[in-house]
Amino acid sequence: MSLGKLLERILQLLPVLLGVSLIVFAMMALTPGDPVQIMIGDQSVTPEQEAALRRDLGLDRPIHERFFLFVTDAVRGDFGESFYHRRPVADVIAERLPATIELSLVALIVALATAIPLGVLAAIRKNSVLDRLATVGSLLGVSLPGFWFGILLMMLFAVHLQILPVSGRIGYSSEIVPITGFLLVDTLLRGNLSAFWDALSHIILPAITLGLPMTAILMRVTRTSMLEVLRQDYVTFAEAKGLSRRRVLFRHALKNALIPTVSVAAIETGSLLGGNMIVETVFGWPGLGRLVVESIFLRNYPLVQAAVLFYAVTYVLLNFAADLLYTALNPRVKL
Amino acid sequence: MSAPPAPALLVPEAPQKAESIFHRNLATFAANRLAMASAVVVVLFVLMAVLAPFVAPHDPNETDLFRRMQPPAWLPGGEWSYALGCDALGRDILSRIIYGARISIFIGTAVILVATSIGILAGLASGYLRGWVDVVISRIVDILLGFPYLIFAIGLMAMMGPGLWNIILALAYKEWVIPCRVVRGETLVTRELEYVEAARALGASHWHIMLREILPNILSPVIVVSTIRMAHVIILEASLSFLGLGVQPPTASWGSMVADGRAFILEAWWVSTFPGLAILLLVLAINVASQGLRDAFDPRFQE
Amino acid sequence: MTRLHRIALASTVALCAAMPVAEAKDLTVGFTLDADTLDPANHRKRETETIIRNLYDGIVTRDANMQVVPEIAESMTQVSPTEYDFKIREGIKFHDGTEMTAEDVKFSLDRITVDGAMGDGQTSPRQGLMGPVDKVEVIDGTTVRITLKEPWPILPAMLPNQQIVSKAFVERVGTAGLATEVNGTGPFKLVEWRKGDAIIMERFDDYYGGATDIAPVGPACVDRVIFKVIPESASRVAALLAGDVDIINDLPAFSVAQVKNAPDTDVLTVNGTRSFFIAMNMEGEIFDDPKVRQAAAHAIDKQLIIDKILAGNAASIDGILSPDAFGASELPAYEYDPEKAAALLAEAGFPDGIDVTMDVEGAFKDTAEAVASLLTKAGIRTRVAVGESAQLTEKWRTEGEPKSGDMYFTSWGNGSLDPFDIFTPTHRSHDRGNSAGYANPELDKILDAAAVEMDAEARAAMYREAELIVNADAPYVYLWVPQDIYGVSKRLSGWTPSADSRINLHDACVE
Repeated sequence: MSLGKLLERILQLLPVLLGVSLIVFAMMALTPGDPVQIMIGDQSVTPEQEAALRRDLGLDRPIHERFFLFVTDAVRGDFGESFYHRRPVADVIAERLPATIELSLVALIVALATAIPLGVLAAIRKNSVLDRLATVGSLLGVSLPGFWFGILLMMLFAVHLQILPVSGRIGYSSEIVPITGFLLVDTLLRGNLSAFWDALSHIILPAITLGLPMTAILMRVTRTSMLEVLRQDYVTFAEAKGLSRRRVLFRHALKNALIPTVSVAAIETGSLLGGNMIVETVFGWPGLGRLVVESIFLRNYPLVQAAVLFYAVTYVLLNFAADLLYTALNPRVKL
Repeated sequence: MSAPPAPALLVPEAPQKAESIFHRNLATFAANRLAMASAVVVVLFVLMAVLAPFVAPHDPNETDLFRRMQPPAWLPGGEWSYALGCDALGRDILSRIIYGARISIFIGTAVILVATSIGILAGLASGYLRGWVDVVISRIVDILLGFPYLIFAIGLMAMMGPGLWNIILALAYKEWVIPCRVVRGETLVTRELEYVEAARALGASHWHIMLREILPNILSPVIVVSTIRMAHVIILEASLSFLGLGVQPPTASWGSMVADGRAFILEAWWVSTFPGLAILLLVLAINVASQGLRDAFDPRFQE
Repeated sequence: MTRLHRIALASTVALCAAMPVAEAKDLTVGFTLDADTLDPANHRKRETETIIRNLYDGIVTRDANMQVVPEIAESMTQVSPTEYDFKIREGIKFHDGTEMTAEDVKFSLDRITVDGAMGDGQTSPRQGLMGPVDKVEVIDGTTVRITLKEPWPILPAMLPNQQIVSKAFVERVGTAGLATEVNGTGPFKLVEWRKGDAIIMERFDDYYGGATDIAPVGPACVDRVIFKVIPESASRVAALLAGDVDIINDLPAFSVAQVKNAPDTDVLTVNGTRSFFIAMNMEGEIFDDPKVRQAAAHAIDKQLIIDKILAGNAASIDGILSPDAFGASELPAYEYDPEKAAALLAEAGFPDGIDVTMDVEGAFKDTAEAVASLLTKAGIRTRVAVGESAQLTEKWRTEGEPKSGDMYFTSWGNGSLDPFDIFTPTHRSHDRGNSAGYANPELDKILDAAAVEMDAEARAAMYREAELIVNADAPYVYLWVPQDIYGVSKRLSGWTPSADSRINLHDACVE
């Protein structure tokens, strides 16, 4: 794809980002509830102290000035200070980000690792028991409310059977010096196998809950596209030539069958970002999603604004990547 | 994103043929026993919701502090008149589930209706009129798509406050984008067809063309998509209620019932489990039925 | 080496190898919230303060009976109505080994009380908690004097909520650094802060010992303390029952029986400091008549709700003060009597009852529902409306501006256990917590006088008088003061909960 096209797409990003910032800023500004009052709560403050607090939070300026400052600062990477943490928002978000990203990635891997083999098998053995079960499973997967399913999983595995931990990311017996911020990676890099299993046991339930709808969708997409591919002439032709069915499958059919799977996966990854909030709340996962929900209730404007902007950028980039991926994999389609 | 597939709709040459196609599709749907069964389940839920005052054994909002967390009938301490047990305030869970169906179905239907209406109008305008209308609408669509669904809904609810119509708006705000895209895609294709050109040549107004010529022929995929989305919207409403942003007490929403019960799920698991099951059953039924609809009505998916 | 020597050496080595290495004693707390920051002067949350107070000590603290006792200070004297002297102990070390002096105390207090003293020109959000402080000075090397602009009798009660930081450390790392790095005088020092997940601390062996009035004095008992963040209450209880944690805070009332009955766990409670009440809009048309307000009071069976919903863990109140607060006394109660309530309503001109709405925050929805159903049975048909706390405080705490709404189920905290911080804000005309819109000039006079009265007995008498006046007017339906309920493991010893929510792990041991 030409550089010109690439630049054009990136430039299209900008009005979207501006629009998103504007919307989220307006929403926060129009939401009733004064953050200063929330912070003060029951305590007694003199009018001067309240004014000082308002000034410190930057809330004494008119709205359009605040928006202008927000945009100009954001471009330089300064998203203001969180009202509650009294630290730069960018820092607070960056601290919580690895947990969310790790959870999303593991959910994605679980989804792909389950959906692709199941989808392929279901397509090969069409209308068999396996196929029917897979279909039922995928319908269940998109119908299960994540918050309910997560609670049930937690009750079963963590409380009744006690084979998995109740919440958190990892236990405290080992000290892990972070390298990437992803516990699964760091523990392996440090050769600490027991810590790796510990981290894995903590992440598995939330990842399964988060990835379930995606698994269901991907399985169906894989099955459908595999069926499509298997019907193609070139498959029959290759079989006629005498190539073993298996060889045909894996060398020709699979590659093409996976194209829609991959592009749908890229698009659906964006929905993992939204689903994160519910799963992180249910499992007490220390990620960004939970932080954002809390911040909305506390009217912690700077944090919400920056987080939403982050989500928007990620979402748009993911869609963009999905498009790129699709063109790269499918030579017949030009962007 | 790939170009929309080649004209997928059969051009209705004569009214009888269109009707017979419809009947044939309907027959296909009816032959799919699973889909039919699911459709029946959905209808049952709807009936349950509409007839709630007659079906529910108790007043869903009647509290009885002496019945707090009473177990379901088949466990020790339960009784059959309160078959599924009681919640933290002694209210009958079965009755609350029955009334809760009203919320889920009403909100789901309303959101889909609102979103589809807006989506159809926007999609038609965007796909048919093109030009700056298309550019503006597409930009708005892109911006709205840049938000993860839940954050937008939460933010809107925080802004507007709780309330039935606020929830419907908060969910429809982004939902219209989906039918809009489908309609736009279909319109882009359909506008090139011969009979549309003919209508234009005859001097028909834009409105006439959009609403009388194009719309009837693209309804099929729109309806299918909408039914599929309905299930999604119901889960979204439950998620919002779960986070505390849904309908207000004492009205029972399945999502808020699950949320209320999760704090004591160790002691009284039934408070959270049964409403969740209700969500699962209804959504599953809608999904299977709409799957069957799609298989029967949308030629693209016919094998 | 002779054969004997070799055997002796070998056996010694073997013995040493066979001796069991003492296992690190960890105390884990399953806690509801993560700390916002570790800077003692830069936050407003009780949970953050609870965590910080294991890392930083203050000038004074409270003992098990909630009496204010010296901690870093050796003694406290009130020199004049506006001057308090604190003699600072010597030999107290910070975690980095440097010695703490009176200069550090002055620096810490200035940081909180002086405008713009937090670096970057910002003011400490805790400034309001220190009252009308004029200046803080060091006199004769080891004494710190706090001078007030006007008399403020609750200064000693409010000081336990502030902690002392190291001047040199703050100058080195700045306010920004203090958010995540710790150099305090507390019994534990910071090991690692896994944001949103857990805070890991370890024992500070050079701890000066702590408040002399609270035994035992000396370094902490356990090796490490871990505050594990578990916001979901079911998960917290599950963690306690599974033995993953030793203490959990905020144990919900309905889980009390389960935790008590489990073999390895128990329940500890302490009287709370938050009074719950229903504000009735006295400026509206329904509740401007005292008979209607009294009807509401008679309509509620407080004991039933306390027994059923709060598992008995609450103290019923007839006035705004909790039974432990200064100046609390017995007051005439509005007994549960729905017939009397209906009769009062009829007298007030509402023979068919009234329809009202009760605003409440989401967290207390269930209790509000229960109260609403009791009110409804007596003729006050109540509909519960859940709102966000931000919106509701804006709606009801109008400070004299006109308000709308009928009833507001709410609460007010009184961590200092002094009426100044609860009676005045909620009952004085146009004050910041006066949700009912109660305006009684006679009461205002008494409250103002009591605020500056130095004699404790006279002061208590004034508050009693005030409570009697208010009791007759019934601007609020006073409900209860819930206890703070904690779940503990039976392995734990040396720890009891504190009414100010401090989880002081200095003397706690785990076997």
